[in-house]
This record gives sequence, structure tokens and C-alpha cells, in this order.
Amino acid sequence: MEKTILAVDDSGSLRQMLSFSLKAAGYQVIEAVDGQDGLDKARAQVVDLVLTDQNMPRMDGLSLIKALRAMPSYQKVPILMLTTESGDEMKSRGRAAGANGWLVKPFDPQKLTEVVKKVIG
Amino acid sequence: MTTKKMLGSQVKRLLSGVSDHGRQHLLEVETDLVQTAFLLGEAVEKLGSSFFALHNAVSAQQREVDILLAEFKDGDPKMARLRVLRDEIAQHTNEAVTGLQFQDLTSQLLARTVQRIIGLRNVLSELAVEGNELPVEGQEDEIVTMLNDINKNLNTQSSGLKDLLRKAVHQKDMDSGEIEMF
Repeated sequence: MEKTILAVDDSGSLRQMLSFSLKAAGYQVIEAVDGQDGLDKARAQVVDLVLTDQNMPRMDGLSLIKALRAMPSYQKVPILMLTTESGDEMKSRGRAAGANGWLVKPFDPQKLTEVVKKVIG
Repeated sequence: MTTKKMLGSQVKRLLSGVSDHGRQHLLEVETDLVQTAFLLGEAVEKLGSSFFALHNAVSAQQREVDILLAEFKDGDPKMARLRVLRDEIAQHTNEAVTGLQFQDLTSQLLARTVQRIIGLRNVLSELAVEGNELPVEGQEDEIVTMLNDINKNLNTQSSGLKDLLRKAVHQKDMDSGEIEMF
């Protein structure tokens, strides 16, 4: 059965590229336009992986991760940050919030799918 | 008019002038930046559409090639050559997908710049308002004290603006970013 990935980013063009890359690798993709939308969609359907941006309106990535980790169904679901941020302080905060990995934009589709495959198969 | 009267009114005029001209030019800059952001958004939409259309066409062509290839024997050099071409297409596709993410990064930088300009316009507005409070016929000491207060407020507002506009985009090129698993 196809694995499902929740892709959360306020940039439409970025979501497009993410969907294209992940679908080409055989994954189903649910898109969310910001943290709150991501949380709503995560509640509606438990996914296999969450890929989230950090700087978004309504709810940022770190807040989304904390909210997801507070849900029993998302205790073990891998969550990766995909963001322009690369500073150590932000990465520490991401790790502390519950992120499993940190990817800095722009992403390379092949490297992204290799990481995703390692994480969820 | 005495020198004291002139000083007060001249300083008022100067602050008002700096505020008015500054805000006028900043408004133009803001307008241009917003237009730039819009054009970039449009451009990436068109580029994205063309990219997906091309990709679909190439994929369809690949499928036809695969059907034809089924007639060739395994060791045929044409098959090897077609495999190489397929790999090249995949590589260029990856590079295009990486490159097309430019709009996400540049729109964040532009948004931050626009916010800074709006903040700066507000600071200049405050300058005009505070400048208006300057006494036209005031003593020099009084004017100096008020100018010092205006300066302090400017510093505070400027620091406040800096704190509000944390830089999130440090990329200097469009090479793919690092990956770290915790």
C-alpha cells in the first residue's frame, strides 16, 4: 500500500515541486498551506510522514510539530522540517519540539526521496 | 526673525522634509517591490506549468520508446544509449525542480524587505510628529533636549524594527541544502 506524506508549506510553488517529486517516487501526498491547515489535515487522516516548513502564517512549523507530538497517533510518525533556516539554534529547537530531521531548502528531489525512503520505506 | 526663532523653525522644517521625502520615496520602493514579487509569482507559475507539460510529454515519449525497445535484444547499443539519455533527462528534471524553488526563497526576502520599508515609513512619520512638537521660538537648550529625545525614540524604534525582521533566508545560491537526521 502506498505511503502517505503530509507536505506543509505556505509557498504554492514549493508544494507543487514537493508533490511532483514525492508522487514520482510512488508516495501519496496531502498538501497543507500552513501549520493550522496541516494540523487539521493530520487530524482528519493519520499520515506516514510529515514534511513541514518553519515560517508560515497562522501556525509555524515548530508549533505544528509540538501540536502533532501531543497527539497519541503522532507520537511515532516521523516529522521532517524543510525550511530555509539552517542555524544551529533553530535546529536545536526543532529537535526539542520533536522533529526527526532537518532539510534546508532548496531540496534536491533525488536526495529528498532517498531520505524519505530511509525513514518510511 | 531672531536666530533662536530661525533655529527652531528650521529644524522643524528639516525633520518634516526628511519625513515627507523619505516616506514618498519609500512608498515608491515598496510599490516596486510588491510588483517584483507579483511578477516573480507569475513567472514561476508559468515556468511550473511549462515544466510539467514538458515532463508529461517526455514521459509519454519515454513510454512509446519503451514499447519500441521491447523489440530490441538486451545487448543492443541503442538500448544502452537510450538508458543514458533517460538518466540525463532524470538529472535535468531534478535540477529544474531544485531551481524552480527560487520563488519561495526570493518571495520571503522580498516580503521582509517590504516589511522593513513599511516600518521605516512609520519611523519617519513619527519623526514628523515629534518634530512638530519642537517649539519654534524655543531656547537652544530646549531644542537640543527635544532633539535628543527624538534621537532616543528613533533608536528604540529602529531596534524594534530590527528585532521584528529576523532573517530566515541566508542562501547565497540555489544549490540544494544540507540534510541532517537527528
